[in-house]
Amino acid sequence: MGRQPRSEADKVHDRIAVLRADRGVSRKELADAVGVHPQTIGYVERGEYSPSLALALRIARFFDVPVEAVFSLDPLPSLSEELLRRTT
Amino acid sequence: MSTSPEQTYLARAFDDGRYDWARARRIRRRVVVAQVVLLTGLVAAVVAAATTDDGWPGWFFIAWTVGLLVFIPLHSVLNLGIRGVFDRSDRSLDEHQQTLRERSFLAMAWPATALHFLAWTGAVTVVATSGHVAPALCWGFLLWFAAGLTAYWHLAWTAPDEPADLC
Repeated sequence: MGRQPRSEADKVHDRIAVLRADRGVSRKELADAVGVHPQTIGYVERGEYSPSLALALRIARFFDVPVEAVFSLDPLPSLSEELLRRTT
Repeated sequence: MSTSPEQTYLARAFDDGRYDWARARRIRRRVVVAQVVLLTGLVAAVVAAATTDDGWPGWFFIAWTVGLLVFIPLHSVLNLGIRGVFDRSDRSLDEHQQTLRERSFLAMAWPATALHFLAWTGAVTVVATSGHVAPALCWGFLLWFAAGLTAYWHLAWTAPDEPADLC
């Protein structure tokens, strides 16, 4: 089971909101697909809840990307920055 | 196997969007304060009743009845504010809701134990000092009841505001 982060260092960063916007998926659609309440997706996006490994894997599978592309212990660079870095 | 929380009738009622107003932290905290004030007032009334000759004066009966009746809508609002996570089956809760519930249970374990202890010792003291059984039972009931509510109060007080939209 996941938990609420106790400090900034404990926080899990994610790209769920960006991926949702990119794929045109609402919180409710994602929540239904991964088996949680929509509010829980909101808490994960806001960094107020660190999901369990199972939930993190289900979210990554939903977007069809590796889990480390969605979640990170370090702040994630924006997708445009990462794309630029890979193409230069 | 499905991983989705089961949508029981109770879960659907607690998740109903018509009650979003009750889920604002400001409302939840006000209801907690109202419940604590109400129960404290009833405890004070019990103590006052225990000091009377018959131990069950008419004004106390009215205060007790009104107090418990007022408690019903207050607790309904509180429960809607926390989506009834303490009253629903585990199967209807997702991992975050279960985490919130367990966190509040753990945080309030000692205060609840202290209130249970106070319920028993207080009831025995009331009987021993006044000889009245009815106010002793009321005292015991109120503190036992409050002990059960501490986890509700903790969650309602500490839970963050929910994400505003589902988009």
